[in-house]
Amino acid sequence: MTAPASAQPSAPVMRLLRRLYGLATSRESVSVLVSVLLTLVVGGVLVVINGDNPFVVYRSLFVHAFGSMQNLTNTLAAATPLIFTGLAVGISFRAGVWNIGAEGQLYLGAMGGAIVGVYLTNLWAPMHIALSLAVAMVCGGLWAWIMGFLKTKWNVDEVVTTMMGNYIAIHFTSYLANYPLKPPKAPIGSTDYVQESAQLPQFVPYSTLNAGFVIAIATAVVYWIFYRYTTTGYQMRTVGYNRLFARYAGMPSGRMILWAMFGSGALAGLAGCVEVLGVQYRFVQDMSPNYGFDGILVALLAMNSGPGIVLVAILFGALRSGGLGVERMTNVPSELSIVLTSVLILLVSSRYALVKLFRKERGTRA
Amino acid sequence: MTRQESVPVNAGSDYAVEMRNISKSFGDVKANEDVHLAVRKGSIHCLIGENGAGKSTLMSILYGIIQPDAGEIYVNGRRCVIRNPREANALGIGMVHQHFQLVDSFTVAENVVFGKEPRKGWLTDRRKAAEITRKLSEEYGLKVDPAAKIADLPVGIRQRVELLKALHKGSDILILDEPTAVLTPQETKELFATLRNLVAGGKTVILITHKMEEVMSVSDRVTVLRRGKTVGTMERSECDEHKLSLMMVGRQVEAHLPKPEMPQGKAVLEVSGVKVGGAQGTLSVRGVSFTVREGEIVTIAGVEGNGQSELVEALTGLRPVLEGRVSVGGRDVTNQSPAAIRRAGLAHVPSDRIAMGLSVGQSLEENAVAGHHRMRPFRRGWLMNHREIRKFTESLIGQFDVRCGGSSVAAGTLSGGNMQKLVIAREMSYGARFLLASLPTRGIDIGASELVHKHLIEARNAGTGILVVSTDLDEVFRISDRILVMYNGEVVGEFRADATTREELGLYMIGARRQQEAIAGGEAI
Repeated sequence: MTAPASAQPSAPVMRLLRRLYGLATSRESVSVLVSVLLTLVVGGVLVVINGDNPFVVYRSLFVHAFGSMQNLTNTLAAATPLIFTGLAVGISFRAGVWNIGAEGQLYLGAMGGAIVGVYLTNLWAPMHIALSLAVAMVCGGLWAWIMGFLKTKWNVDEVVTTMMGNYIAIHFTSYLANYPLKPPKAPIGSTDYVQESAQLPQFVPYSTLNAGFVIAIATAVVYWIFYRYTTTGYQMRTVGYNRLFARYAGMPSGRMILWAMFGSGALAGLAGCVEVLGVQYRFVQDMSPNYGFDGILVALLAMNSGPGIVLVAILFGALRSGGLGVERMTNVPSELSIVLTSVLILLVSSRYALVKLFRKERGTRA
Repeated sequence: MTRQESVPVNAGSDYAVEMRNISKSFGDVKANEDVHLAVRKGSIHCLIGENGAGKSTLMSILYGIIQPDAGEIYVNGRRCVIRNPREANALGIGMVHQHFQLVDSFTVAENVVFGKEPRKGWLTDRRKAAEITRKLSEEYGLKVDPAAKIADLPVGIRQRVELLKALHKGSDILILDEPTAVLTPQETKELFATLRNLVAGGKTVILITHKMEEVMSVSDRVTVLRRGKTVGTMERSECDEHKLSLMMVGRQVEAHLPKPEMPQGKAVLEVSGVKVGGAQGTLSVRGVSFTVREGEIVTIAGVEGNGQSELVEALTGLRPVLEGRVSVGGRDVTNQSPAAIRRAGLAHVPSDRIAMGLSVGQSLEENAVAGHHRMRPFRRGWLMNHREIRKFTESLIGQFDVRCGGSSVAAGTLSGGNMQKLVIAREMSYGARFLLASLPTRGIDIGASELVHKHLIEARNAGTGILVVSTDLDEVFRISDRILVMYNGEVVGEFRADATTREELGLYMIGARRQQEAIAGGEAI
């Protein structure tokens, strides 16, 4: 009836295959796939209404996202900050706390990293970069930690505090960039350029893809290992599933929440710092086009899974860079990618209803 | 499996409900396999079986909550497909769930008419609703005050409201899912009288239960399910408790569990003068003192809601102790964290396995290792040792006969009894010197209860000190060495299990009697 014998030599392989098969046919995966397909249909209809051939447009979108080395690197560059913010949000969601403040934590991290990058001199480059990234993580992390502390100490709703914290962080860094740290003659609020020793190396000419992408992938791997294999990750996950159970079983649920918030803020800070050290080379006010908020969407779509977050972030990046190409080549505006993203989110949020529609009356509980 | 009914298709008029060859699988688990059920009109039909035997699945199919994979349903002789509860209602089928589905802030009348309200324009006609409720209440002898708020009512009355709600919808066939699980003996008696009344008035009642005495006292006919299959259907007159329990568990239940005398050991739990707060600044536990020693089972008996759950939470670090002192294994743990109290030697089986005892969204492995997860061999440095965790989980599953689809399925897929076995298996596996088990057999069947009791006594014989909170006197007498009775936040009596009777305990439980200077320090015996 259940569990075939696992004593055969190929048992681990079989188990892996079974798991992969289960994953591919699970309700979750099927529902996400159905959502993606439906999104393309909805987008196609809009394109037709606009008087274009959807197949041409989608082909152009794909080509501009992945078609050449140049396009591919643009896509990956656009995905980099979203991988960071997606992971940032994912950490907190897995632990059952809702950090909506990645945007503000990103700005604090960007500012912290920029200050280290600008004002420390004569450092060995790897050292300079590492220091800058570390300071960024502490800046973003501490800011989120405060909200976690308010939550564990007085049960203050973290959704509200992190949300409000965004404004404080964004306006505070904007003040620094406009007054004390603004170089003379700078046209907009910004810091000075960071030292060359703090700049992240680029890989491909004429592209903003830089070592930040590698750091993002490495972070995702750590994230995956953390939640899958470490004891602390297990405790955090358990707190996220059932806080009362975690407390009852003797897990330090308060401390787990604090660490989850710190880690979440730290990764958001990293997103900002990598943007400074690898793309802008300085802190610029309004530098983030909602990376922090898009991170929430990425985490939700990926159901907080590490590999999932990387994939979804790349998908978002592809829509972004491909959308620009589409605008150049056809008369469909690049806002198409925003429409596609929004429809996708809408459909994924209602995916259970969708799956039910498709498996009507079968009543299977897969 | 014997097929009891072989009635031709159209002779249905005798039967209010007939379910034939019903099968339903969830993944690999066959919840129902070729099940038959025939319920005569105007009778009380008990559906009895262990947890996970498929009773609830069968009734969910009849009520349209889930769809069968195969099989036919006849209502009043007519073949029906019931796609959802609304269609079930239209066929005259009503259900009273184990967990009531009432709106707390509404009045009784508003709840009764909910979903089928008398209207005055756009609004509910409240006066008429009250009238309807009063009329129904008189007609069926279900006494309620239509104007009372649900939140202010005891469970027994809430259940009446549920019944009235079903009757208002015009139900002729009433399904009751373990209706007595939450009731006191007195309330149970009243409920049964009501059911008799309803049946006399032409209604048909299907009662899900796993309590033998209920079957014997109230049913007309009984259908026994075991492991998803029909074992048989009998008239009540044909069966006795012995035969039924044999059919249910497939073997005989031991009436007595052997308990060797144990030498008096060291105290593992000392409680002195403990006071614990309740709702709105009241005291739920008003100064309680007792001791539990190695190698004995002490039971706190009492009607639910007399401070037992608050006491348990205070002893386990989940609720603050306002006054007094608690020590576990000789260490003062008053107001320490649950983790610290566990380190001092506590294992805890909580009364609510879904909210507290398990994390139902996580796998059996993740549930089994909780609390062990920082110890060898389950961790290697920072990492978890998944192979050892799986081995450990599988051994618990084997030892406690947890029926499941493997160690990696979510705990939420288990039936109630199997969830409880998992919780107990985990808590026993700590090898703690003090075990606190709160309502350890609530809502689980005879076979599982027997297993739980056997393990508790084995642990006692191995020198563990055990405190059990129970509302079930059968259980109290089956396992206790000593019995404390709690009433209104106080321990009002202490007894040796072999020197008291049910009747005597009953008097203390309802507050009719109390011992003088009850048990200071629990050193009496």
